[in-house]
Amino acid sequence: MPVKATAEDMRRIHIEPVPDDQKVEKAIQYLDEMRKKFRSFVLAMESCVKCGLCAENCHTYLGTRDPNNIPTNRAELIRKIYRRYFTLEGRWFGKLVGAEDLNLDIIEQWYSYFYQCNECRRCAHVCPFGIDTCEVTMIGRQILHWLGIVPKLHADVGAAMERTGNHTGLTKPAIVDTLEFLSEEIKDEFGVDVEFPVDKEGADIMYVPSSADFLLNPYTLMGAGMFFTYIGANWTIPSTITEAGNFGLLFDQQHTMRHNFTRLLHAAQKLGVKKIVWGECGHGWRAWKMYLPGMADLPIRWPITHIHDEVAYYIRTNQLKLDPNKIGRPVTLHDPCNYVRACGMAETLRTVIRACVADFREMYPNKENNFCCGGGSAILFDDPEMYQLRIKFSQKKAEQVRATGVGRDGNGILCAPCSICKAQLYPMVEEHQLGVEVKGLIDLVGMALVWK
Amino acid sequence: MTYFIAQILPYITVTVFIIGVIYRLWRWAASRIVHNITLSPFPQTKTEVAAIYLREIVLFNNVFKFDRPLWVGAWPMHIALLNVIGGHVVGFYFLGKQFVYLGASEALSTYLSNLLGTVFGIILLAGLLYLLYRRIAIDKVRQVSNPSDYLMLLLLISIVSLGNFMRLVPEYGMHYEPVREYFTTLILFQPAAIPEGNPFFILHLLLAQILIMILPFSKLMHLFGMFGMRWIENRIYKEPAPGLPNVDVAAARARGTGLPSAGSTDVA
Repeated sequence: MPVKATAEDMRRIHIEPVPDDQKVEKAIQYLDEMRKKFRSFVLAMESCVKCGLCAENCHTYLGTRDPNNIPTNRAELIRKIYRRYFTLEGRWFGKLVGAEDLNLDIIEQWYSYFYQCNECRRCAHVCPFGIDTCEVTMIGRQILHWLGIVPKLHADVGAAMERTGNHTGLTKPAIVDTLEFLSEEIKDEFGVDVEFPVDKEGADIMYVPSSADFLLNPYTLMGAGMFFTYIGANWTIPSTITEAGNFGLLFDQQHTMRHNFTRLLHAAQKLGVKKIVWGECGHGWRAWKMYLPGMADLPIRWPITHIHDEVAYYIRTNQLKLDPNKIGRPVTLHDPCNYVRACGMAETLRTVIRACVADFREMYPNKENNFCCGGGSAILFDDPEMYQLRIKFSQKKAEQVRATGVGRDGNGILCAPCSICKAQLYPMVEEHQLGVEVKGLIDLVGMALVWK
Repeated sequence: MTYFIAQILPYITVTVFIIGVIYRLWRWAASRIVHNITLSPFPQTKTEVAAIYLREIVLFNNVFKFDRPLWVGAWPMHIALLNVIGGHVVGFYFLGKQFVYLGASEALSTYLSNLLGTVFGIILLAGLLYLLYRRIAIDKVRQVSNPSDYLMLLLLISIVSLGNFMRLVPEYGMHYEPVREYFTTLILFQPAAIPEGNPFFILHLLLAQILIMILPFSKLMHLFGMFGMRWIENRIYKEPAPGLPNVDVAAARARGTGLPSAGSTDVA
């Protein structure tokens, strides 16, 4: 299981850890609140018929063969407690109907297995009833958060979100500095002049990049800068919310997630923009597109679209000149789970990639049926135990990539238009020896743009 | 004993069933849809939403696509189950003559009623036995099973076996008329004794009532649950329109925005 946040780490994100002798009682109390609040959770608890279809459709089970990684069994870790305390049959018949009393060992199991779920929702997509085990995982993680049990990675990111409005703790000087550096890189490599305006009041468009782009995915930022410059947009990047992601979705969907939602609305209002365009982040796009409207404390006066949707629009209306032969390498597309299953972007990604790349090969299965990269919901831990698990979680993905043949000559590109996918796949393509380089989608747009 | 099973228990069964189902459905309805958890596919019209529902319910689309060996057992079993239950209702009410409304003669109708009942009864039993086999023999299905999953299958198999036995062994068969009379007395709250001398019928009646009573407290609530879950996830979602404000790409390109010779970033 991932390294846990210390009591100090938890206090920094405003949670007083619950002492061991009260954990069971508190967990049951929080579970009671959750089951009264979330219909999706109750249905997952009561409507599953244990048909077993989800088992071989989940990459974590396929990679580890651990029975608790079967989605319905992952849900069963909570379901058996739910049955015991909240249903007649559980109270009366106990083990016969799969009901169990809660204890500290089971809470530890919750921690282990809810942080082995990538929240990719493939199980929900394939389930005959649409039972969403991701909802169960999210609620499990929420209960654990309130108990004070969170991975150190997530807790530290939560603290960074509150401090700086982004996951990696970037301050405004660091943001400005990096963007100046990237302007020079673009000039060197592509020969065009791109400026990245930061906190420009009166800009029409607010672009929200993933903060990981500043550290790990420079070509994604460069590609976005080139796109906005190419179309002559009056745009800006906000320094107070330089984050396309929202880790709150991944462990605390109330206080932490809401905090960044509020930052966005404040920034959009202060800068007086007309439209907000989102950067490459999968779970973030799901949070901002689907969760923000229900949780915003202020009116949302700005349409919010994804940069891929905008690029696809300009491609479809023949306003972007792209040369698919500039990138002379075979490319395959990894459909990020949250883009295709939660946000309906499968065709948009293809409109863009086909315009940018001549040798594009689909992997199989793809679109909504695609398998997760194995890093989803920030299972990006680098302690030895979890790192080995990440290799197993990405096993299915590796098979898919190998089958496309793009890595055969060692110069393939694996296009993964999501920040967490990139963070997972950068090391995993080496571990699985796939012969490919990981790039985002906007990276390819920047590389394929024809300026004259 | 027979008196209890036939003339008292039915009232308890129906009460427990109705109150149980209402209670469970009320608990679902009292909880909320908090977040937008729309899931693929992304229907754009109400017709597309209805199509999703129908494909799943009528054809078991997801099971077909993602676990064919399961579909081979589950789909025929459910189709047979619906026909058997429907046949009970329609057959008893019309005494096997329901196909007269489709243009058949009375004799043909009775023949069809018997034939369909027999065939679907056998398919249903075969399906259930296959599903039980899967739950015992296949690793992934065994790993997800609780004792109650096996017991439920055994209960269903018992009920269907008894029904098939009565259908296939003439001396223990039940005719429509006496059963219809019996149900009529139940509905009128003047319960009369059931026809004597058929222990298989009594057992079938008892086990069926047990099934009906435990339904609200079991996974069989999936018959309502599948609608509840899809109602949350398969919704129309409309995107805001793409296209960026104050952007004139042609003009920007004509100006040479971004090209070193034309100067750096220009603002429209």
